[in-house]
Amino acid sequence: MSEKNSKLDGAKLAILSNRLGGICRKMGNTLLRTGRSGVLNRAKDFSCCIVTKDCELLTAEESLPIHVLSGPDLMARSMHEFHPNLKKGDVFLHNSPYHGDSHPADHTLLMPVIDDAGVHHFTLLAKAHQADIGNSIPTTYHGTARDVYEEGALIFPAVKVADNYQVIDDIIRMCRMRIRVPDQWYGDFLAMLGAAYIGERELLALGAEIGWGTLHGFTDQWFDYSEKRMIQAIQSMPAGSATAQSTHDAIPGTPAEGITITSKVTIDTNAAMIEVDLTDNSEALACGLNVSEACTRTSAMIGIFNSVDNSVPKNAGAFRRVKLHLKDNGVVGIPRHPISCSASTTNLADRIQNSTMRAMAEIGDGLGMGEIGCFCPPSTSVVSGTDPRNGKPYVNQLFLGHTAGAGAPFEDAWMTMLHAGNGGMCYIDSVELDEIYTPIRVTKRHLIPDSEGAGRFRGAPGIEVELGPVDCRMEAGFVADGNIHNPLGARAGGAAAHSDQFRRLPGGTLERLEQCSQIWIEDGETLVSIACGGGGYGDPKSRDADRVLRDVAEGLVSRERAAEIYGVIITEAMQIDGPATRAARAE
Amino acid sequence: MRFACDTGGTFTDLIVEGDDGALALYKAPTTPDDPVLGVLDALALAARDRDMELSKFLSQGEMLIHGTTHAINAIITGNTAKTAFLTTQGHPDILVLREGGRIEPFNFRIPYPEPYIPRALTFEVPERMDGEGNVVLALDEAAVMDIIGALNAQKIEAVAVCFLWSIANPAHETRVGELLAQHMPEVPVSLSHILNPALREYRRASAVAIDASLKPLMERYLGSLTERLTAAGFQGRTLVLTSQGGMIDAMELASEPIHAINSGPSMAPIAGRYYASSECTEPNAIVADTGGTTYDVSLVRRGRIPKTRETWIGQPFRGHMTGFPSIDIKSVGAGGGSIARVDDGGILFVGPESAGAAPGPVCYGAGGTLPTLTDACLVLGYLDPDYFLGGTLALDTGAAEAVIQEQIAAPLGLELAAAAAAIVEVATENMVQAITEITVNQGIDPADAVLIGGGGAAGLNSVFIARRLGCPRVLIPETGAGLSAYGATISDLTTEFRSIYFTTSEDWDEAAANAVLAALEAKCQAFINGPGAGAAEHRIEFGVEARYASQVWEIEVPLAASRFQGAADLQKLIADFNAAHEEIFAINDPSSIVEFVGWTASVACKLTGSGGGRLAADGGAEHSGSRQIYFEGAGIVDTSIHAPAQLTPGEEISGPAIIETPFTTIVIDPGASFHLANAGSINITP
Repeated sequence: MSEKNSKLDGAKLAILSNRLGGICRKMGNTLLRTGRSGVLNRAKDFSCCIVTKDCELLTAEESLPIHVLSGPDLMARSMHEFHPNLKKGDVFLHNSPYHGDSHPADHTLLMPVIDDAGVHHFTLLAKAHQADIGNSIPTTYHGTARDVYEEGALIFPAVKVADNYQVIDDIIRMCRMRIRVPDQWYGDFLAMLGAAYIGERELLALGAEIGWGTLHGFTDQWFDYSEKRMIQAIQSMPAGSATAQSTHDAIPGTPAEGITITSKVTIDTNAAMIEVDLTDNSEALACGLNVSEACTRTSAMIGIFNSVDNSVPKNAGAFRRVKLHLKDNGVVGIPRHPISCSASTTNLADRIQNSTMRAMAEIGDGLGMGEIGCFCPPSTSVVSGTDPRNGKPYVNQLFLGHTAGAGAPFEDAWMTMLHAGNGGMCYIDSVELDEIYTPIRVTKRHLIPDSEGAGRFRGAPGIEVELGPVDCRMEAGFVADGNIHNPLGARAGGAAAHSDQFRRLPGGTLERLEQCSQIWIEDGETLVSIACGGGGYGDPKSRDADRVLRDVAEGLVSRERAAEIYGVIITEAMQIDGPATRAARAE
Repeated sequence: MRFACDTGGTFTDLIVEGDDGALALYKAPTTPDDPVLGVLDALALAARDRDMELSKFLSQGEMLIHGTTHAINAIITGNTAKTAFLTTQGHPDILVLREGGRIEPFNFRIPYPEPYIPRALTFEVPERMDGEGNVVLALDEAAVMDIIGALNAQKIEAVAVCFLWSIANPAHETRVGELLAQHMPEVPVSLSHILNPALREYRRASAVAIDASLKPLMERYLGSLTERLTAAGFQGRTLVLTSQGGMIDAMELASEPIHAINSGPSMAPIAGRYYASSECTEPNAIVADTGGTTYDVSLVRRGRIPKTRETWIGQPFRGHMTGFPSIDIKSVGAGGGSIARVDDGGILFVGPESAGAAPGPVCYGAGGTLPTLTDACLVLGYLDPDYFLGGTLALDTGAAEAVIQEQIAAPLGLELAAAAAAIVEVATENMVQAITEITVNQGIDPADAVLIGGGGAAGLNSVFIARRLGCPRVLIPETGAGLSAYGATISDLTTEFRSIYFTTSEDWDEAAANAVLAALEAKCQAFINGPGAGAAEHRIEFGVEARYASQVWEIEVPLAASRFQGAADLQKLIADFNAAHEEIFAINDPSSIVEFVGWTASVACKLTGSGGGRLAADGGAEHSGSRQIYFEGAGIVDTSIHAPAQLTPGEEISGPAIIETPFTTIVIDPGASFHLANAGSINITP
């Protein structure tokens, strides 16, 4: 079976796809287990994927959606452009949003897979959100940066960091002089390098075993199969076109009314194509919320694929049936240097996904979703300071509690989504682990009753987290959203409750904070984070009454809200009052 | 005489070990409504085989070692006790939020898992410790009394208690335990610092929640087992297998029933370790236990069985983590009953859906209409339709051929035999991925490992799997069809003690580390003097869970001695850690500080034999001849059939060949060879 372009049967296709997915999983396992910063080893904020020699996404098993649907392709192309002569053992560091990366905080290692004859076959990517990247302030989301200079990150547009498997120390020294807590960064870099080396070793072994010709023949066939599945998925959808909007709250550098993202979705079942038009959006703004090309493309695709049969592989084959229209130099679209894309993976990217999903929902029941809750509240701050227990500086992003899931057409929210682009892949920090590694105490972490987006299938409730420094002061950075424009429902589904954030003074008084803040929390004070749940899907009055009863019994929804919003009357003895419910729902 | 009895999903396997060391294997149907009955049925089969009354037969038994699925079944079917969860004030949603994470990020049809204990039965207790064990907020005992009132009013049947940092200072958990014992004496309680003293509050909380919820029913089950065995005439000791791969007295287990979750499956690697060390030269072993619906993989690394701290009940992120270390077993939905189908795009899938025991594969003729792996094996000639389970179940080859032709061969555009081979290949690949995943996680190279096959179906594709993984050897032990029960006959009375003590290579305090080890050793000694009294031998192994500074996932490194004596011992430990890190993750960082977190001492007391027993010959010598078998690449080949009783030990025979017993069929592909080993195993060079 080493003959080039030999036709593989369905069994061989399934096997090879599984083996390539296994390589991604193996890379990811290495990153998780060996990473040094909490954002890697506690929150799992990283992705691993394989692109073909032609820079097309082949597989990104169990990755964060926002990291991979588009971006790996663009980054690989820039690697070829800047380094036309690739050699075995080369590794490139890439974090430039102007050349295909998601945002500067996502350091990516690209490793071309080159056989002993010097032929390049695939490129592997290990992409990981860093605890720090040398920004001008200790956060990896600089929401108010007017440009990349104020943002301050070191930008690496596919810069060679290893030659013949030897790390180029010049780059390491630069990073060590600029990135906070350099040993932590270097440990994470090693973890990424380990992942790349392991992936390369595995892929070389696979090519040697089955023949490179067969493997490339496989990719062609796998793309065709994926495209065929996508065609069938689109043809099973209703045809139509709809436009929806989603608005991010104002922060410094944005218009006072916030930033509204408009997404127009067209499903053409005859041509089996889905188009997303994002051109009707504002010009780039002097803030860090602009969305990189990779994240704009990816966000539109997430908005689509969240409604596509899950078993359709997400790769360049399926993407042939998607057409995107992007605005040059738009706030979402194709940003041009030196516009800042610091918070490009989350805030406005989520708004692209939410507007796209709500447009999908407008086209037909069974498509789209409510809006997924907003990022990034203070419970996911980047915190920094000096740990009084050992006198050492620290910097890291917390993932202390999130919900955000939205109601979907066939099921309630997956509660712990984090935010739309994350797909729920990140972990939630253990309170005990965070208290060991950071001089903080977490005094509260609980779901908020009656805060869910109601619907036939409901969104997640919001979550309140309260934390403060212990025996020291702590700097915290966050770029929250959802205080004015809370997550909306779809198809008559309700909105989730608003977000908020406060400083609690030693006497207990609450002081409201700006949504986009870089602040010091003093010893004795705490930071209170009220994060959004997600919007609901469908009319709450059509929700299965037993589900409402369960939510009430579990203390997520009050009896009053059950009656008012869902039209389900529940007695004090926790029984559904059938006649009263029928009457309430008939109104 | 000793009995080892493993209750599986379909069969209850019994191995009887005579005083002369000879073994006999029996299989009785499992009786899910009353599993003790299946145990007694299997014992009755053995008694009948010896023409003895059951009571007389049982009276000769010194020991019965039992593997049970009762605990896991109760969880899966939701038949556990009505359990309350007591948690630190401000943190009521530990069991709801869990640790986050998800699989299949584009799949919005999967419900978010319900918490193991509902929020409605969760109670926040005013109290708080910090990481150094200081009291941040004193325990409010009046509030605890109010909660106890509510628990009584709600007729709670079990209570799980997990407070933040109880591992740093257990005073509050202990006091709440006392109050519960005083005011709800009939209700069992699990405290997290006692059950599972480990970092990460969700893992401790989940452990106590599961443990407490199992206490009432496991107490009843294990009580009933011992009583009915005694009533039937058994006067020996009843021991039960644990997820950690050892055994403990039945009523001990009733007090910490979470350890029974993987009772049974954890025995396959114990058996595998014995066979690997006694019959193979490879340093490592991959132990694959095949069943009707699942394929369970475990490992032996240089004589040790690797464990995992992440044991899930159900799928990862969609089920519940036990929070507890157990023998690392990777289970996938790939077994004889796995269903094959071709999707709209023309891709073949096998499993995880299973036809189960009912209706079962199409060839059973019991109403199955979907093609399964067993049907494919029959079509290929791997299985003899007239000799399945020794001929007790006649298989319908025509029905299997028809269904594969229609549902698989036609849509794939393949010949019938090629389609059946493709089913086997895809199922095999699922098994290979399971093995790859666990070997990756544990850093074992299959090229250094023998593949040991257990369960009735192991022999069908083990050669294929070994070739795919590059394993140099396959071993199908004589007791393979009852591998778990066999493992039980050689398992030790074991327990493990853990202690959290944080230190680093930089701030190393040898005296403090030695004090931790001394305390652990004293606990082990008490165990040796207590339940372990009378053991032929015993041993204590020490280990430490270590990581590089600011990593959060530890790897376990064995300690060379029970105490540290000077700087050289620390340097050796650091070197061992660096080597282990590189072995597992391809990199290490010798310049980094190493952190030591969890200290363990496991004690094993040898109450059973040391292995080496042989199965009494079960006939089958007349089973021979040849049949037509399809091999991929070779087509249909006339293949000779062998019964182990006809083979000469040590004589190497080339494939293609089939070795068949009433309990199992082993396929030797062309190009492979095998011999009968002295110990009765089939030793294959793939």
